[in-house]
Formats: sequence, structure tokens, C-alpha cells
Amino acid sequence: MVKDLSFTAAPGVVTGFLGPNGAGKTTTMRMLLGLTRPTSGTITIGGRPLARLDNPAREVGALLDARATHPQRTAFHHLLAFAQTMGLGRGRVDEVLGLVGLSQAAGRRTGEFSLGMNQRLGIATALLGDPGVLVLDEPLNGLDPEGIRWARTFLRDLAREGRTVLFSSHLMSEMELTADDLVVVGQGRLIAESSLDEFVRANTVQAVTVRAAAPDELAHALTRAGAGVSVQPDDALLVTGTDTATVGRIAAAQGIALVELARVRESLEDVFLRLTDEVTEYEGQPA
Amino acid sequence: MNLLRSEWTKLRSVRSTWIAALSAVAAGVALSVLGVSDLLGTSPAELPQGWDPTAESLKGFLFAQLVIGMLGALSVTAEHGTGMIGTSLVFVPSRSRLLAAKGVVVTGVTLLVSLVTTVLSFTAVQVMLGSAGLPAAGLGDPGVVRALAAGTLYLTLIGLAGVAIGSLVRSATQSLAVLVGALLLVPALGPGLPGALGDWFARFWPITAGQASYAVVPVDGTLAPGAGILILAVAAAGVTAAGHVVFRLRDI
Repeated sequence: MVKDLSFTAAPGVVTGFLGPNGAGKTTTMRMLLGLTRPTSGTITIGGRPLARLDNPAREVGALLDARATHPQRTAFHHLLAFAQTMGLGRGRVDEVLGLVGLSQAAGRRTGEFSLGMNQRLGIATALLGDPGVLVLDEPLNGLDPEGIRWARTFLRDLAREGRTVLFSSHLMSEMELTADDLVVVGQGRLIAESSLDEFVRANTVQAVTVRAAAPDELAHALTRAGAGVSVQPDDALLVTGTDTATVGRIAAAQGIALVELARVRESLEDVFLRLTDEVTEYEGQPA
Repeated sequence: MNLLRSEWTKLRSVRSTWIAALSAVAAGVALSVLGVSDLLGTSPAELPQGWDPTAESLKGFLFAQLVIGMLGALSVTAEHGTGMIGTSLVFVPSRSRLLAAKGVVVTGVTLLVSLVTTVLSFTAVQVMLGSAGLPAAGLGDPGVVRALAAGTLYLTLIGLAGVAIGSLVRSATQSLAVLVGALLLVPALGPGLPGALGDWFARFWPITAGQASYAVVPVDGTLAPGAGILILAVAAAGVTAAGHVVFRLRDI
């Protein structure tokens, strides 16, 4: 269920569409493409509904489900059938196969493809009409590390050519090195919309980890100075609400020798989990 | 034109299309040949009343029609089953145009398959009958060409109805169930119903009515050929309209 969701994906950048499973990412993308009808409201692309465009695939390229291919059909014929709807032929099919590195597999049936190869085929399908807008649902899902690196560079290159690239994922780690902008949803509602850097700055908690010869004494001194302190199992202190310089000064003033002093940053994965925690629909119970 | 080319690529690039086309022809001819083989020892005088060598040679339709119907249904259900329909609609958002293109291409292919099945079945059986000294039909005999044309049309209409059924139920197994029911069970069991209901099924059930169109010698209690094929055509158009409406209204 998606309610009152409104966001902008700008040309020239990769916009990551992030949310836990069941948050409404796929539903939103399907509505965008006219496959699922919203109960109210309209969806326009460049001011016109998708169905009114003469050759919608020249405006919007989509990857909905990489597995959605006929297993008996070859990659080449899969692409050819879609190219022909726009009056394009074998030439364009060979081009997009080359772009995604599937030229060697053109004659193979998609039923023999790995999920990663199907993702590449899906991206090739989206690119057939050379559209300015790309809507990709979980394009990195199922790719091996080499494939993920390829896809990241590829998506960023497509954006750099001036295209609008919107891609979804339920994994923060997939966003970190790929997206410029971030749209975070949970239970069909917008949680955050900003650039990735801003998102990190606004939502990550800065903390300091410190190890000292006299941890209890230091903990007291830091608490007196107004910092939040928690003692880790290995006697290291996790200090919040301050920075490394202040911690060092306080330790020096008390004459406590430090063994280690470092800045730690909450990982994006942690931030994402914390933000979506209240709105996660399906959650495992602790055993 | 672009859409027709696209749908033709889809249809020809999967093995199941060619398997269905070949098995429709092979099964149709084989069943027709089997149907008359037990008559080969009999003398012309022993043949039943109203002997119709043309209709007799098309008995293999019983099975061929099922395969042709499935050929039509699969062209739609394969896209729903794999989820490819979503991608198809991104390229062609007009569902009416997409379904129409599919219908035209499938109808073209089934027309050809139907024609080959009809002509081969007729020829094989007439050759067998002739060599056994039994009365056979020839293309020059009155009503024979008309019956063969009607038989071809009959199978083609079932292929088109198959597309519509596929669009209605969106699953290959359910399409097969509907086709077995409509093509085999109802014509076999319907006329056994009591009173007027049984009579109606024996005459007006679109499949039974359509089968009357390729008889040369009229059978008692059935419709005239023209009326028979008309009823089947109207029924096929009705199912197609229903399949179209449902495809337009449902979310994918």
C-alpha cells in the first residue's frame, strides 16, 4: 500500500529508492509504469500519461523483474520482439547486448541464464529505446561482486549522460556506492528524501571509541563533562555527544593515559534499520 | 505493423509453438486415419446410412482442436506466467492493441495449421478409402470444398477462442481445463441432459454447431452448415470480447 508518496528523481544523477521489503517500492514503480492503477491521482511522464505516449519505451526504460523472460526464448529474440514494437531491428539489439556484455550469450535461451545474466538482459531491455528515464526495480539483486561493480559504474555512466536513473533496493549497502540521491520509504510513506551525503550527515550518530589505562576514572570524567558513555564488553568506552579532541583533552586533564582513541561512524545499514524499524511490516521474533 | 512483427517474433521464437503446430497436424491426421481403419474390411453395402466420407476424414479434429486451442492460449498465458506481460505493456501501453496484434498473428498461424490439418486428413483418408474399394469423396463432389473450408475455419476459430481463454484465465493449466470442458466434455455429455436442455446442447452448443458445418451429408437434428459456423463465430467473438475487457480492467 502506497499513500501520498511524492518525490523527485532528477536527471543526471542516480536516485536510489530504498525501503524494506513490502515498503511499496515495486508498487510505486508499477504505478509509475501504468501496470497498477492508483485508487486516486494520476501519473504523468513529461506531463503526459504513459499510455498517451507514441513510443513510451523511447521515454522510459523499465526493469521490473529480471526473471520475467520466457525460458525457451533466446536473449536475442527476447530483445528483438521489444525492439520491433518501436520499429527498431537487429542492429539496436546487437548494440544493447554489447552494452551489457551479453553479446556472447545472445543465442542462448534465457532459461539457462543465471539471475545476474537476467539482470543484464533486463537492463538491456530497458535501454532498447535509448530512453531519458530509467526505472529499475532491484537491478543489483542477484549479481555477483564483479557484476555489482559493473552495474554501479554502468548506472552512474547512464546518469552522467544526462538520464534520470531511479533504482530500488532493500539493501543500504547497494545504495552506498551507487546512488547520488536517496528516497527512503517505509510502509508506503516517505521517510527521507535528500542527497546521500546529506542523509548520512543528518542521520548518522557521531561517536568516539576510547580505550584507557583507567577506564572507570575516564568514564566518570566524561560523564561529568556531559558526554554519553557506554562501556563495551572489552572495556572500551563508546562516547557520544562529543569529539575526539575533547575526549583527549579531558583525559589529559585527569592524567589518564590513552591506549586508543578513534572516531566511529554508525554504518548506513544501521541508520537505515533504525529509521525503518518503526515501519517494518514483517519482522522475525527473537527465538 | 511493428506490433505484428513483434508478436510474430514472440510466437516463432519459442519451441512450444512449433511443437503444438506439428502435433496438431500429426495428431489430427493420425486420428482420422485410425478412425476409418476399422472400416477397411467392410464392403460398401455394409456402410452405415448417410455415409459421409468427408466428415469421416475430419474425425481427427477431436484432438487437433485441443492442441490448436492451446497454441492460442499459450501465446497469452506464457506472458502472464513469466511476468513478461509487464515489460510488454511498458513497450505497448495500449492493451487493446497488444491483444489485437497477438490475436491477428496467432490467427494467421492457426489458419495455416488448420488448413494443413484439414487437407492432409482429407487426402489421407480418401486415399485409404479408395484403395479399400469404399466410396471416397473427391474435391469435385458437391459440397466437399465448402466442407473443407468450413473445417479449416472451425479450427481457426478455436485457435482465436484459445487466445481469449488464455487472456481470461491467465494460466496454461486452467486454459487446458476450460478447453477440454468446452471442446470435449460438454459436446459429449450435454445432449444427454433431459428434455429441451439436451436438445439445445445437441444443436446449439457452439462447438457442436460448428462441427455440423463440415458435414457434406446433413445429420438429423443438427444445424445447417452456414448456421453452425455462424454460431461458433459469434461465440468466439463473444469470448474474445470478454477476454479483451478483462485484460483491460485487471492490474497486471
